[in-house]
Amino acid sequence: MTKSMSKPSVIVQRQTTSSRIAMTLCVAAILALIAMPWWASSGHIRWAIELSCYIAVAQMWNLLAGYAGLVSVGQQAFIGVAGYMLFVLAQKFGINPFLAVPLSVLAPALLAVPTYYLLRRLDGPYFAIGTWVVAEAVRLTMSNIDYVNAGAGLTLRVMTNYSLHEREVAFAILCAILLLITVGGSFMLLRSRHGLALTAMRDNPVAAASQGINVGRLRFLIFVAAAVGTGFAGAVYYMAQLRITPSAGFDPFWASMSIFIVMVGGIGALEGAIIGALIYFFADRFFGEYGSAYMIVLGVMTLIIALYARSGVWGLLQKLGDHPWFPLRRYLVLEPKS
Amino acid sequence: MQWLDALIQGILLGGMYAQYALGMALMFGVMRIVNIAHGDVMILLSLIAVSLAGVIPFGNIGLIIVVVPIAVLIGWALQKFILNVVVGGDELPSLIATFGLSIALQNLMLEIWSADTRSLPNSEIASASFQIGPFYVGLLPVIVLICAIFITGGLDGVLRYSRFGRGLRAAAADTEAAAMAGVNPQKIYATATAIGVGILGLAAVFAALRATVSPADGSAQLIYAFEAVIIGGMGSIWGAFWGAMVLGIAQAIGLRIDPGLGILFGHLVFLAVLAIRPQGLMARK
Repeated sequence: MTKSMSKPSVIVQRQTTSSRIAMTLCVAAILALIAMPWWASSGHIRWAIELSCYIAVAQMWNLLAGYAGLVSVGQQAFIGVAGYMLFVLAQKFGINPFLAVPLSVLAPALLAVPTYYLLRRLDGPYFAIGTWVVAEAVRLTMSNIDYVNAGAGLTLRVMTNYSLHEREVAFAILCAILLLITVGGSFMLLRSRHGLALTAMRDNPVAAASQGINVGRLRFLIFVAAAVGTGFAGAVYYMAQLRITPSAGFDPFWASMSIFIVMVGGIGALEGAIIGALIYFFADRFFGEYGSAYMIVLGVMTLIIALYARSGVWGLLQKLGDHPWFPLRRYLVLEPKS
Repeated sequence: MQWLDALIQGILLGGMYAQYALGMALMFGVMRIVNIAHGDVMILLSLIAVSLAGVIPFGNIGLIIVVVPIAVLIGWALQKFILNVVVGGDELPSLIATFGLSIALQNLMLEIWSADTRSLPNSEIASASFQIGPFYVGLLPVIVLICAIFITGGLDGVLRYSRFGRGLRAAAADTEAAAMAGVNPQKIYATATAIGVGILGLAAVFAALRATVSPADGSAQLIYAFEAVIIGGMGSIWGAFWGAMVLGIAQAIGLRIDPGLGILFGHLVFLAVLAIRPQGLMARK
């Protein structure tokens, strides 16, 4: 009797049509980015650097707030210290600036460890303001250290040793690596065993802990990883700017920008940060000249989305149909009988 | 001797910070919501006070009589249209919503009042001072400190002994159980926000009398209020007051060591408290 119920043969499928299209586009975009010095103008390369940094910083904030439940408004601390580390390594120690970029992410990693241990005791909203205090404290410390020119900041003069083309090639490659690490890395992380744990934590930390997930440890690891990713973007961004000051490097603008991008794009989804970054980037190009009026609109939009449309643009798109770009789910498909 | 002077100045500065911190402690204690726009609302009220200064009779007292009701009204609107939507849910929406509000308010103020620093016209109170032994003490900071002590004591008394206070503490401990016992949480929340922002109205007039204000100053005020609440210990009204004292003294002493270190010292004391006594100085347990 049981014989008749033979085990149906199934295969686990993760890719969907939409994801195959998206992956192809991503690979094409990365290749186009690397090739930019040969086909695009310097102005457009600067735009690409800026957009890459926005995507990276926002994606890291999404990982923190959207998955680990750690809302930070002080990510500029990691941007600033990585930028400063890069400038000091390249300008004061004479290390090749492009090789100094990967070294400079040590600074945010080292800052993130004590920051997390100090702030982890604070309740959610207080954690957020705590990160802001840390960022302010680091900014004020930098403004008082004469070695880094205090409030006047540093200039990256060594960059004049390289031709414009050399610099552009290096920046294009750095941006590609940055995107691969932050977006690709987040995707790999979420598809791994830890990704399952993170998704469980996003939905309900208490229930996740009861299932044997070490929530504290995972939060710590995500906090440090996000600091490194954010710092990487900061190092690239300020290297392109050729100049860093405490007020620029530790500008709370970085926090507002990430919050806006992730909330508008859709929090807790990898696609959201990318959509949000694109929206922000082009909105900034078109409406940036309106200054404070434009910022009022951004602020009010963030407010309204937080109150009434928490899943952002990606959430709206999801309602039209499930077409993930970065599929995290597994689908069981019956194997066709041969 | 100059350290003793720094101590006195620090205590007086703490009186100002206590006024910022009380509203925040009250609102967080009841609703578990931190209003990121707390400092910006204060600056908005200060700027309104500066703009009204020429129009309102009876000088500064008249200004307080007008600005505090405006503050209560703003608090009511804040509660009605924003906080009510997010209260009781998880913390992310309230945080992000008030963050958005903060950015919008800052830039709105920039549009209306431009980036200039402003202050209330110099009045006698603001420049008067008296001498205790070898120290000169400003009259206005002393008034601010005395007001802060009265507000703290009054608020603490209201929470301990009044019907509203009992309802508020019940709603803070368990909203649903309180509602079953006949407490209307919506009303409690609205009153708490109105009181919290109302205190900011008073603080705003003092701040504009004492020093200058400009649209971008809000975030610093938010951070000071927050530090005072945490240093003192969450959930304690007198804790917020003593936390503000500690913060004021730390900043005044840092300022004496090097003019660039004042605010940094405040942050460092805050971080040290987090490391050594995370429950705060005045925590009940």
